[in-house]
Amino acid sequence: MTKKRTGVFVCHCGNNIAATVDVTKVKDAMANEEGVVFSQDYVYMCSDPGQNSVIDAIKDNNLDNVVISCCSPNLHEKTFRDNAKMAGLNSFTCEIANIREQCAWVHKDKDEATAKAIKISRSAVRRAGRDQALEPIAVPVTRKALVIGGGIAGIQAALDIANAGVEVILVEKLATIGGHMLQLSETFPTLDCSQCILSPKMVEVSRHPKIKLMTYSEVQEVSGSVGNFKVKILKKPTYVDPELCKICDDCASVCPVVVPNEHDLGLTARRAIHIPFAQAIPASYTLDESACLGLNPVRCGKCKDACDVGAINYDMQPQTITEEVGAIVVATGFDLYAQEHMNEMGGGKVEDVLDGLQFERLCSASGATKGHVLRPSDRTVPKEVVFIQCVGSRDPAQHCAYCSKICCMYTAKHARLYKHHVPDGRAYVFYIDIRSGGKGYEEFVQRAMEDDGTIYLRGRVSKLYRKNGKVRVLGTDTLTGQNVEIDADMVVLALAMEPSKGTGEIAKTLKIGRDKDGFLAESHPKLKPVESVTAGIFLAGCAQAPKDIPETVAQAGAAASKVIGLLSQPTLSHAPTVARVRNSHCSGCEMCVTACPYNAIHLEHGKAVVNEVLCEGCGSCSATCLRAAIEVKNATALQIHEMIEACLA
Amino acid sequence: MINIQDMRDTARGLLTKKEVRAVIGYRRSTNGMLAEPVVITDPAQADELIWDPTCFHNLSLYLVEDRKFLTHVRKTADAPIAIVAKGCDARSIVVLMQEHYFERKDVYIIGMSCEGSGVLDERKLAAKGIRATDAAFDGDDFVFATAQGEQRIAAREVMADRCLECREPFPKEHNAVLGENKTGRELNAPFTALHRFEELDAGARWKFWEHQFERCIRCFACRSVCPMCYCEECVVDSISFPVTGQTSAEEKANRVRWIERSATRPENMTYHMTRVLHLAGRCIDCNECERVCPVNIPLRLLNNKMEREAREEFGYEPGASIGGPSLTASFLDTDPGKFIR
Repeated sequence: MTKKRTGVFVCHCGNNIAATVDVTKVKDAMANEEGVVFSQDYVYMCSDPGQNSVIDAIKDNNLDNVVISCCSPNLHEKTFRDNAKMAGLNSFTCEIANIREQCAWVHKDKDEATAKAIKISRSAVRRAGRDQALEPIAVPVTRKALVIGGGIAGIQAALDIANAGVEVILVEKLATIGGHMLQLSETFPTLDCSQCILSPKMVEVSRHPKIKLMTYSEVQEVSGSVGNFKVKILKKPTYVDPELCKICDDCASVCPVVVPNEHDLGLTARRAIHIPFAQAIPASYTLDESACLGLNPVRCGKCKDACDVGAINYDMQPQTITEEVGAIVVATGFDLYAQEHMNEMGGGKVEDVLDGLQFERLCSASGATKGHVLRPSDRTVPKEVVFIQCVGSRDPAQHCAYCSKICCMYTAKHARLYKHHVPDGRAYVFYIDIRSGGKGYEEFVQRAMEDDGTIYLRGRVSKLYRKNGKVRVLGTDTLTGQNVEIDADMVVLALAMEPSKGTGEIAKTLKIGRDKDGFLAESHPKLKPVESVTAGIFLAGCAQAPKDIPETVAQAGAAASKVIGLLSQPTLSHAPTVARVRNSHCSGCEMCVTACPYNAIHLEHGKAVVNEVLCEGCGSCSATCLRAAIEVKNATALQIHEMIEACLA
Repeated sequence: MINIQDMRDTARGLLTKKEVRAVIGYRRSTNGMLAEPVVITDPAQADELIWDPTCFHNLSLYLVEDRKFLTHVRKTADAPIAIVAKGCDARSIVVLMQEHYFERKDVYIIGMSCEGSGVLDERKLAAKGIRATDAAFDGDDFVFATAQGEQRIAAREVMADRCLECREPFPKEHNAVLGENKTGRELNAPFTALHRFEELDAGARWKFWEHQFERCIRCFACRSVCPMCYCEECVVDSISFPVTGQTSAEEKANRVRWIERSATRPENMTYHMTRVLHLAGRCIDCNECERVCPVNIPLRLLNNKMEREAREEFGYEPGASIGGPSLTASFLDTDPGKFIR
């Protein structure tokens, strides 16, 4: 075997690397390495001249493989592997030595950092020397998408994907699509009716020939990878045939069970058999099994007797449906931070202290009070209302560290809506800062103050409690330095937004990451804001971070366009750096099968077999195997051994 | 109290009815009081079987040897093989089944409860200056036959440390079992010996291990006696690299030599560290490695350390169940990940 000819290219990254690492020294050290026939440094290797110099050097020096000492392979591995390919090499014979994130950025001492950069580069040279030429694996694509979550984000994503001619399965946990947006009365900054703008989209979803709507369903299991996911969806029984149901309400009127209505946040009640609201999609009743007196054996059976069309079937069973899709959009939305966590705000136990969504239901024409603002305790018109912002948000010590972003705007909206309903009432807003960035947003807040006379008090509320039929609010106005005491008829808390319940489970099912606050993590905060860390899975709406409706719709559209782009390719190319089994060493102990996070390994005749399409080359199997019987191509035991040796030398 | 005759009858019955093809057990060795492993295939041999405090060998090693032999001659077993197993031995059989080395139906486990005692530590007996020709269980005592006559010693004075610290002297996994289940008996707290050692400061411990690994002659007795060390090719050993029809020239030329052959301290240390890591979550503390070590390296301290980490960090007990997850292949979301912080 003739010796491989290796070229090394060391990047300054402006001053990012050069400030802490003596780049020239690294270049010179590499020139002396065995097998290195060319070594060069350049200020920005990823710039056009930098890339061209790599291509030219490969051709001029007849290089077999190249090492680029630069930033993380996450950023430019593809760039330089493409360069290698353009110069006629196999792209997998190009290796990146990360001397920026793993060296320059984390050290201060220049001599030591330089010595480390040399070791990192040297180990990459040794690895590259044993790289095999590999060809990408072509994977066929399933032209179908799954959208999880039927709120505005999921609806928009599903419609955009379906309108491009791609089949979509829209899965919603609840009995109707619409999500939280459906609970809102009006929307900022234009004060147009939320339901009026959302309902047409919901109808469009239900009628779209390319959309398969699955409500009252949950994603249970996801396997496979980008282009070819296999999804198991559990369809819970509604006990009502939506085809037959005439939504006449005869069943609900005989149902003896009364439970709080979730759609109205408990401000109204519903029966065990119910329709979330009149315009629900699909337009059908649902029998809430957890509330019903009993289905097996049937304890009551009144609703079935009352139904003239025979739509009610107590024998309906949960169904597990398996679907194959090429891409997934996760739009599982948010929940409000629970009032119970907020002890200084009464912990949810003080009457007439509402959260923002409950107030929306009070203002809504379809809500608990048919659009009249009445306080829940005695159904009188509240004359003094206190709105408190940042409840649970921006409080790293006790609650959520982040800003929930939309509360400033919806509180201003609440104050305005209140003043429109009760013109002689008085509205106070406690705030820390007002964050009204957005088209028409600042003007909207100004109108709340000037046109509608809302009194904005800069300060926090320290305590509130019930006194003489009112809610006494103790706070401070930090601008005047005075303590403030208000006897309010009603208090509305702008509670923080948090990822919806179940986000953790769905993240686990999909194997996508979450950030420190529990929101789904995007792949890159700036450049890949709708991609999850797992290829083929995209994010939309508040599951990723708190955001308002226009932003949610925009992100849903972006996720949809990514899906369409992905599914418009005939095949996908899969990295060939996958695991390989050495049969002679494999004892069939199955430890790699358990360790594989992608279910890519199974046993055949007592030996492990890798499904190369599913394998992501993570190396978990290789690390688990006690017999070194499985290793990842181009990260073989020999290569790792040599890399360690190079570092220790 | 176990009646040895019951064990012999069980073995005889199994062989007579041809329910098993052999019984792996213990018999009196020709070398004084010690027991030695024996494989019997003839019902008439059943009376050779013994059960006494010198039955310290972990016989599951011979299940591994049997499996290796069958693979070598390309045969499949026509009947299970029976094995006499203490609580610890049964756990090692469970680990082997967990790793699919053989299946449950391939083994017939004749469980032997250690009840209130355990096996003898020869070194402790020698320290007492006793030279015995026979040993027997008797309740909480061991009874030794010596030139001066019968000598009775409280078992806990001469028992192996591992037995004193044993939490499960009863073989949970078994087909037949003899003796009482005294699980939960507490003689010494688990990891007592390890705790005592860890009272030394880090410098002293390092010195201790430097000294121990200096003495290792790399005879590989620890590896040979370990039922978990069943790999065809040991990763620390490039001598036994198996060459098959599929082995490419490249592979032969490029096999990794993680450890040099010479028995120098750093190489020895790497060997023992690799072994202890490969045994993490698999070692069931039979302590055969330490027993057979010709230079008396206290290997149990190393294996115990891993066992305690696995228990305290992950609540993991090796050999708890056949279908359970293995320690290193499974990941918990509740992983404390302390090493990273």
